[in-house]
Amino acid sequence: MRDKFLLAFRSIRERKARSILTVLGIAVGIAAIVSLMSVGYGMEHAITGELTGMADMISVMPGKITGGHTYVEMGGFTDRDVKDLQRISGIKDISAMTYDSVEVEYRNERKPTFVLGGDTKDLESFYVEPVGLKEGRWLRENDYKGCVIGDRVATDFFDDVIHVNDKLVLNGDKFVVVGVFEKGGMLYSTDVDRNIFLTLRAAKNVLQTDAIKYIIVRVYEIDEAEEIAEEIEEVINDNHGLDDFATAMAMDSMLEQIGVIFNIIRGVLAGIAAIALVVASIGIMNTMLMSVMERTHEIGVMKAIGAKSSDVLALFLLESSIVSLVGGVTGCVVGVIVAKVLSFLGSAASGLEIAAIVKPEVLLGGIAVAVIVGVLSGFYPARKASRMSPVEAVRYG
Amino acid sequence: MGKAKTRKVGYTMIHTENLSKTYRMGDVEVQALRDVNLEIKDGEFIAIKGPSGSGKSTLLNLIGCLDTPTNGAVFIDGIDTGKLSENGLAEIRREKIGFIFQQFNLIHTLNALENVALPMFFAGVGREARLKKAEELLVKVGLGDRIYHKPSELSGGQQQRVAIARSLSNDPAIIIGDEPTGNVDTDTGNAIMSILEGLNREGRTIIVVTHDAEIAAHAGRTKRMRDGMVLD
Repeated sequence: MRDKFLLAFRSIRERKARSILTVLGIAVGIAAIVSLMSVGYGMEHAITGELTGMADMISVMPGKITGGHTYVEMGGFTDRDVKDLQRISGIKDISAMTYDSVEVEYRNERKPTFVLGGDTKDLESFYVEPVGLKEGRWLRENDYKGCVIGDRVATDFFDDVIHVNDKLVLNGDKFVVVGVFEKGGMLYSTDVDRNIFLTLRAAKNVLQTDAIKYIIVRVYEIDEAEEIAEEIEEVINDNHGLDDFATAMAMDSMLEQIGVIFNIIRGVLAGIAAIALVVASIGIMNTMLMSVMERTHEIGVMKAIGAKSSDVLALFLLESSIVSLVGGVTGCVVGVIVAKVLSFLGSAASGLEIAAIVKPEVLLGGIAVAVIVGVLSGFYPARKASRMSPVEAVRYG
Repeated sequence: MGKAKTRKVGYTMIHTENLSKTYRMGDVEVQALRDVNLEIKDGEFIAIKGPSGSGKSTLLNLIGCLDTPTNGAVFIDGIDTGKLSENGLAEIRREKIGFIFQQFNLIHTLNALENVALPMFFAGVGREARLKKAEELLVKVGLGDRIYHKPSELSGGQQQRVAIARSLSNDPAIIIGDEPTGNVDTDTGNAIMSILEGLNREGRTIIVVTHDAEIAAHAGRTKRMRDGMVLD
């Protein structure tokens, strides 16, 4: 067996150009499949990955969505609203937050931004856990003069980058930066990057309001989220005597809609990968066919000096499996690199954080496809050539 | 090199019975060989002469088990080759016959040593034994200093000597040469014929096809062919 390997390897090495082209042909096809699937999985994960952590959440905002596009603010919630919500069964946790635009001053420069205040424990689980801090620490319950700022506030707003222990002025009150958020992913970007987080008391003070602008509710059963969201809207609308004072959105139903979109995207990707697969297979077949055909003479010589058909077949199959294996592995490596580059370019262009996800089963599948297609398409011409009478084969070329 | 010597004097190594071969070329049937009856004794050196198209290569291919007859039979060392399976024929080619071609037909990706060792590879001989024997054979044909050269780095005469060494690698009783000197100059051709004469002296049966009278003169017996028939 070792001898056969050496002989096959020899013949591959001696036909450098042909072998490299064959390997390339296989590699391109496999790379296309691997990179497409990895980017596809990455996109899917970028969106659903963040969302699944939020599946048990319902966000409640004062206002309505008109025509599906514009959001009209209707004022604020009251403490009574929050109290009434606590009576709805199935709710695990309610977090009331206040939120408004405000001007922030740093080293005599002023910029408009948003202040978000709430229970520090709740905010921690909603924002700090998924997004993470790149500097400092999170707010404590009694950090009335401390604030944690979003990535854009820290880096983009002012000439100087703001760090922990720098001081900001909000509506005349001085706050010390105790922490800076990481850049938020696509779902958290609007909630975190441009915001300044305060304790609820400090926020009410700065914004000079008792109004609650944002309520996040967590439920026990994700299945009930949709129902509970409707109930929340009813309770709050009743309190304010309006039909559409509050909009409660269950994240889970948003997830489902995204899931539908993703099934479509996945279908398209699978279709493109399938086309790539067919093209790759035809390419592999073509190169294998040609490389066996052009060696018909050699096959004839081997038979003339005593090789059995099965010897010839075994040699050529071994050769085509080595070439396909190398092609498959090269394709996987190239595919992973292409996927990383594509996802990097895609992230830069779209602002979404997409990291290509390379699944081992995709890599193994790619190599398997390369070897199976390679060996099968090497088999047909090799068998045909090995069955020719030696005279006929020797006369070739 | 004992195989060829164990048989009785006068033993018939090869004989053909009413051997015929017809080729189809489109609608036309070409009878390349007509009822050839030929007997070749063990240890003979026979040259088959004739113009091109006379059927001498066809006869050689049939005797060498590279092709199958349309009619008639070929017996090699007492075996009716028509009754053999494809693998059986491959075994005959591998064990009993060494073939030398006009075009040398070396595998150009392999060096001289590997080319000579290849028939032993198909015979299942181990790597070391194979390479050792191949080197001995190359020394024997005067190419001891060229064993790692590729065919493309060798002259025509050198390539033909590699081919002769290859034909000897499984120590066959019969050597068949199809115009073995057809692609080399006269001096080299004579040198190659001397090697074949030496192999004949070792007891091997040699059959050579040629259209060159000077080359045929090296043989112990000469047959002429014309129009697919052996004349005398």
